[in-house]
Amino acid sequence: MLKAIVIDDEQYAREELIVLLSEQQVLEIEVIASCHNAIEGLKKVNKLKPDVIFLDIQMPQISGMEMLSMLDPDNMPKVVFVTAYDQHALQAFEDNAFDYILKPIEPARLQKTLLRIKRSTKKEDYKPLTDKPLTLIPCAGYNRYTLLKPSEIEIAYSDQSGVHIISAEAENCCSLSLKVLEQKTELLRCHRQYLVNSNAIREIRLLDNSLAEIVTSSGAVAPVSRRYLKMLRDKFQLG
Amino acid sequence: MELIFSLLQQLSVYLVIAYLLSKTPLFMPLTMLSGRLSQRLACYVVFSLFCILGTYFGLAIENAIANTRAIGAVMGGLLGGPIVGFAVGLTGGLHRYSMGGFTDVACAISTTAEGLLGGFVHLYFMRRGSVEKIFNPLLVFAVLLVAEVMQMSIILLVAQPYQQALDLVKTIALPMIIANSLGAALFMSIIQDRKAIYEKYSTSFSSKALTIAERTVGILNSGFNQQNTQKIAKIIYQETGVGAVSITDREKILAFIGIADDHHLPDTPISSEHTKQAIKNGEIIFADGYEVTYQCSIKSDCRLGAALIIPLLDSENQVLGTIKLYEPKQKLFSSLNRSLGEGLAKLLSNQILSSRYLEQQTLLTQAELRLLQAQVNPHFLFNALNTISAVIRRDPDKARQLIQHLSQFFRRNLKHNIETVTLKEELNHIHAYLEIELARFSDRLKVNINIDEQLLTQLVPTFTLQPLVENAIKHGTSTLLENGVIDVTGYLENGLVILKVIDNAGTYCLSEKELQAGLGLQIVDKRLKNSFGEQYGLTMLCQSGISTRAEIKFPFNGEKIRC
Repeated sequence: MLKAIVIDDEQYAREELIVLLSEQQVLEIEVIASCHNAIEGLKKVNKLKPDVIFLDIQMPQISGMEMLSMLDPDNMPKVVFVTAYDQHALQAFEDNAFDYILKPIEPARLQKTLLRIKRSTKKEDYKPLTDKPLTLIPCAGYNRYTLLKPSEIEIAYSDQSGVHIISAEAENCCSLSLKVLEQKTELLRCHRQYLVNSNAIREIRLLDNSLAEIVTSSGAVAPVSRRYLKMLRDKFQLG
Repeated sequence: MELIFSLLQQLSVYLVIAYLLSKTPLFMPLTMLSGRLSQRLACYVVFSLFCILGTYFGLAIENAIANTRAIGAVMGGLLGGPIVGFAVGLTGGLHRYSMGGFTDVACAISTTAEGLLGGFVHLYFMRRGSVEKIFNPLLVFAVLLVAEVMQMSIILLVAQPYQQALDLVKTIALPMIIANSLGAALFMSIIQDRKAIYEKYSTSFSSKALTIAERTVGILNSGFNQQNTQKIAKIIYQETGVGAVSITDREKILAFIGIADDHHLPDTPISSEHTKQAIKNGEIIFADGYEVTYQCSIKSDCRLGAALIIPLLDSENQVLGTIKLYEPKQKLFSSLNRSLGEGLAKLLSNQILSSRYLEQQTLLTQAELRLLQAQVNPHFLFNALNTISAVIRRDPDKARQLIQHLSQFFRRNLKHNIETVTLKEELNHIHAYLEIELARFSDRLKVNINIDEQLLTQLVPTFTLQPLVENAIKHGTSTLLENGVIDVTGYLENGLVILKVIDNAGTYCLSEKELQAGLGLQIVDKRLKNSFGEQYGLTMLCQSGISTRAEIKFPFNGEKIRC
């Protein structure tokens, strides 16, 4: 039994796909969630770890493509792209032999795709689609989403409850992993659990034992571990 | 008494010379009180000659000369101003002085004074702005009268011995006053007549040219073709009264009207060598039938005897064709029609150019409109189809309605040639579009439409509101994570129609430059400006993250709109 998540901003489109999936006989598949935007989708994917996602390309604020690049490559589900019409994206799929379905969805075409998923064992590498830097980082605040520009982030850190992002205004939860943030933004690693925005650094305090602390413009503090201090020294040409 | 007649006899000769002179081209500038140096110089030369002539034509009496010199001096002053008057008088006076006699000094002084007198009268009327009065023969008569009385007084005052001067004045005063006053009045009347003829001539010339220009305006707008040139040739034929008129393009006759139109047929190739030469070299050819022979190239007994062939040139001096004016063998080509013909060629050339320009403009708007229609993006279509296919399962009746709306929307988009529609029709179009989008974004889009009833009959260019609504969805509400709201309102304000499309996204905050690049909206604005004038059109107002407002303004039921 495969676990699937459907992500599409149109209600009818989601419903139609779910019905079609339930009607086919190729593969046993269970839709464990359906999300109406990419942020919701990101959260659900990270939480529910589906085997496959059906991902619409055109969605508000964060497109399917951008969402893809926010997913942790290590925990990447299989992705089936769904789009009505997007020449740009289609070209990219063709070039990289990724599977996609066109709306309105043809049941036969869907079956073919599912067959392919059933047979394939290799892990797809979506790098060709996801190598662009992120422009917006979705954060979940209380009862709402915030979209931060990478330049607004001062510190990103992780703890047991997940990844947190500190900006000048607030601290928010984020569904992106530190690894993704490090790869897709300008944030610098200063600790196993901390990333820092080099433009937001106000001071670097050197401590004993070759440790240090970074204080940001808004006064937040990030620890610097031994391993990353040398790199910081090099970068800022500290003695 | 005898002296009066003798003087008048002399005067006749004098006036004949004046009349003959008035026939020459030298004469016209004299009558134009332009005040230019050339005119003043001409006045000085001509009237000094008349002054001297007056002296020569005088009759010797008692060692003095009864003469008509004063006419030249005063007229010179009247037409040339005080300086010219003085100069003419002095010249005439010095000439008289050189001839001697006991009145030589007196005559020199008085002639100069007379010239000045004429000059001051000139100045007086010029300052008062009543230039025409200077040409009044009665005035000239009066001025000469005064001038002669003045001259007699000067002779009495200056000439010695006084007794002899008194005797002389007694003899010549009356004849000279009469002869000079009368002569000058007649001279001025000749000038006046010439002026009148000239003005009539130029008025009729300009009025002819103007009538033709007026009657031919816009005819060529739909192209430089047989049908249109035929109309133009007819108008020129009627207005100029030449024997025949023909218009050709570079290869063939487009129109021919008038004498010999039985064998000069439109749509036949140009056969005349003159015309071919005019087209080849872009030069005007005047085959007047005398110096340059003219012979019809089609029929040897053709009645046409002279032709004026003028090339029609475009802005790069490329020959577009020719216009040809013909006169029959027994009739002379009047110079009037010749220069008129040249003017007409210019007029036609401009009209052809402007028609080309207009044509291109129309093509451009049509192309743009098509582009706008083609902008119905495939994304919309496929999403609509996807929505419908999902709705079919749940609610077949609703799906059927959606298909109706979709086909209505596309049918309307396929109508390429409709330029204007009523606001009501435009709203129907939006309605069809919105039904689809509302179904698609069923759970997160709300649209309020509120348009004043009285606006519904107002004509607007096609695709005025729909692109705005589409824009509000595509670049506005569809990018929102929360629910989208679009308000479409229309009302009257101070005689202006105000149409607004407002969304709650505020995502279309572009700079002026980017806005210009937004082709769809740019065309909407351009078409509104074309129809209603530069001060109207579309303005975009965006509060980032709050709302984008598209506002259209134009006069209510204004002039009949054109696109």
